[in-house]
Amino acid sequence: MALTAKLQLCNLRTKRSRLGQNMGMKILIVEDETKTGDYLKQGLSEAGFSAELVRNGIDGLHAGLAADYDLIILDVNLPGIDGWQVIKTLRAAGRELPVLFLTARDQVEDRVKGLELGADDYLVKPFAFSELLARIRTVLRRGRSKDEERLALADLELDVIKRRATRAGQRIDLTAKEFALLELFLRRQGEVLSRSFIASQVWDMNFDSDTNVIEVAIRRLRGKVDDDFSPKLIHTLRGMGYVMEIR
Amino acid sequence: MSWKHSITVRLSLAFALLTTLVFTALGIYLGRSADHHMTELDAHELMGKLVLVRHISQQAGTPEALAARLSDALVGEHGITLTVDGESGPLFNWPQGSALNELAKAAVRVGESPVRLNVDGKDFRIVASEMQTGWGEPVRVLVARDIRHHTDFLDQFQRDFWLALLAASLLTVILGIVITRHGMHPIRHIAQTAGRISAGQLGERMSEDKVPPELAEMTGAFNAMLGRLEESFARLSDFSADLAHELRTPIHALRMQTEVSLSKSRSNDEYRELLLSNLEEYERLSTIIADMLFLAKADHGLLIPHRENVELMPLCERLVEYYGLLAEHIDLKLLGSKLRVQGDRLMLERAIGNLLANAIHHTPENGSIRVQVSEEDKRAVITLTNSGPPIPPEAIERIFDRFVRLDHESEGSGLGLAITRSIIQAHGGDISVRGLLQATEFSIALPCQESAENRG
Repeated sequence: MALTAKLQLCNLRTKRSRLGQNMGMKILIVEDETKTGDYLKQGLSEAGFSAELVRNGIDGLHAGLAADYDLIILDVNLPGIDGWQVIKTLRAAGRELPVLFLTARDQVEDRVKGLELGADDYLVKPFAFSELLARIRTVLRRGRSKDEERLALADLELDVIKRRATRAGQRIDLTAKEFALLELFLRRQGEVLSRSFIASQVWDMNFDSDTNVIEVAIRRLRGKVDDDFSPKLIHTLRGMGYVMEIR
Repeated sequence: MSWKHSITVRLSLAFALLTTLVFTALGIYLGRSADHHMTELDAHELMGKLVLVRHISQQAGTPEALAARLSDALVGEHGITLTVDGESGPLFNWPQGSALNELAKAAVRVGESPVRLNVDGKDFRIVASEMQTGWGEPVRVLVARDIRHHTDFLDQFQRDFWLALLAASLLTVILGIVITRHGMHPIRHIAQTAGRISAGQLGERMSEDKVPPELAEMTGAFNAMLGRLEESFARLSDFSADLAHELRTPIHALRMQTEVSLSKSRSNDEYRELLLSNLEEYERLSTIIADMLFLAKADHGLLIPHRENVELMPLCERLVEYYGLLAEHIDLKLLGSKLRVQGDRLMLERAIGNLLANAIHHTPENGSIRVQVSEEDKRAVITLTNSGPPIPPEAIERIFDRFVRLDHESEGSGLGLAITRSIIQAHGGDISVRGLLQATEFSIALPCQESAENRG
């Protein structure tokens, strides 16, 4: 969606974490819808986060003020006090932790309001879980890692400065977008990247575009970096997206 | 319904007011004219008397002869008062003993037209003259006419007239009510017909031959409105039916799949396959719902584009680069010049992106697509022309409607072009499509930012 790109221009929030993995990152989920909340917690726990769930705004506020979380996932429509109030109060209390909003309303005013109140990102229901994961990681990573100049996985290497890609020592010719796509994969090794996330990150297409395009782009990239080599590095996760890792 | 707004009341009062005004004007005119006429009549008579007196006084050799002859001449005259004064005093009074008082005598000047005077409570018209007599003495003659019967007549006339006026006004009000009611009958008829119409009978029309010509226009407009309502209503119910169908089909598939899969124990891989398949259906449903919401917002005028400066060429370049991945065997080119519009970048991307995806989808292999950005009549025009069999004319009319898919293999929601049109319309632009010989041309016209250069 629209914001990822814009949000990256927003003030970077300093994070203390230094590990590349999700392990130990504490996430607070404030969501009143039973099923959504349960599965969010399960999904995030299984993705390696330490997730806690509360089901209304007041509990969310108390939890947010009492404990030290790395991120809050906040539903806008909550019983008690709504998401806007929660974030306002947290910010007023000097809590600078990143906040990711979930809402069923996709109105522009909501979006603007959320950002004005200091939300870091914004997802409209229904969204793909892989999308949420990608956003969480983006928010958590912000301002943390210095972008590395050399990226590698197995025998695939990427020199970001020189714009050079090699696999098993062989030079691979990539277009600018293919290079950007490969860089995204390498920076996010092991993460599931949804098609719309890729479209947004690489092509700056921030609407629900025809995602067949991404399939074609991945096919071409595979043709250059994977087809003639082993092990295969780019994997398709049906219904979810793509992941780069050694299997 | 307030009586203040009743047409019957208003018309009747207007009639009455009109009648009163006209009659009053007429009455004033008639009164004046009668008064004038009588004044003339009196003047004529008084002048006649003066001529008579002048004649007699020239003939009379002595004052006594004058008095005698005047008495003879005035026999039988009623309402006339005549005074002849010589240098030494009064010579003659008629009728005997009733002299005009001195005040009146002084008030009337010689040689002027008759003057109206009130003497001793009576209205008179008086004229004075000086003349020579047969015996050589100049005399001053005053002739007065009692005009009471004239003023009485005029007073009577006025009383009668106001009474008649009151009666006429009342009558007009009553007749006005009756006539207006009668005249309003066709309107009541229209109201009754309108009252009968509900969503179920939008087909009903008012007969346009039976209505008076004054109402024909209204009836025509009313019928036209019914026509438009019927059409949009039909479209809406089609749309609801289509929507139900669009949502029911994937939900039905999901349910069947899930039920069948659960009907017996299966391997993990099979469950996995089921969930994946479900996931794909959910995604489709989400897309349809999101698109529908977008269109619903557009329908309710809630689609308010965020306004920013958007350079069209870079935007199109990015879209062409992106969608170009799908057009490996298509000659896809972007031409045009630097143009800037005010609009919502995301929405415009989506609108043009949909068109481009649509064009690529319908272009055969080795075909071509041209995207052209140009300025026409101070509007930014983006034209997409793709080669391929032209769209049949009947399909062209419906191409921007919802859930219209020209080919049944299409995977899209069938809402893409409808969304494009909504976005363009929300930007105050127009979108059109026309079939060319072996090609189709979509054209978007957006209001151009006039002072693009000035604003830098």
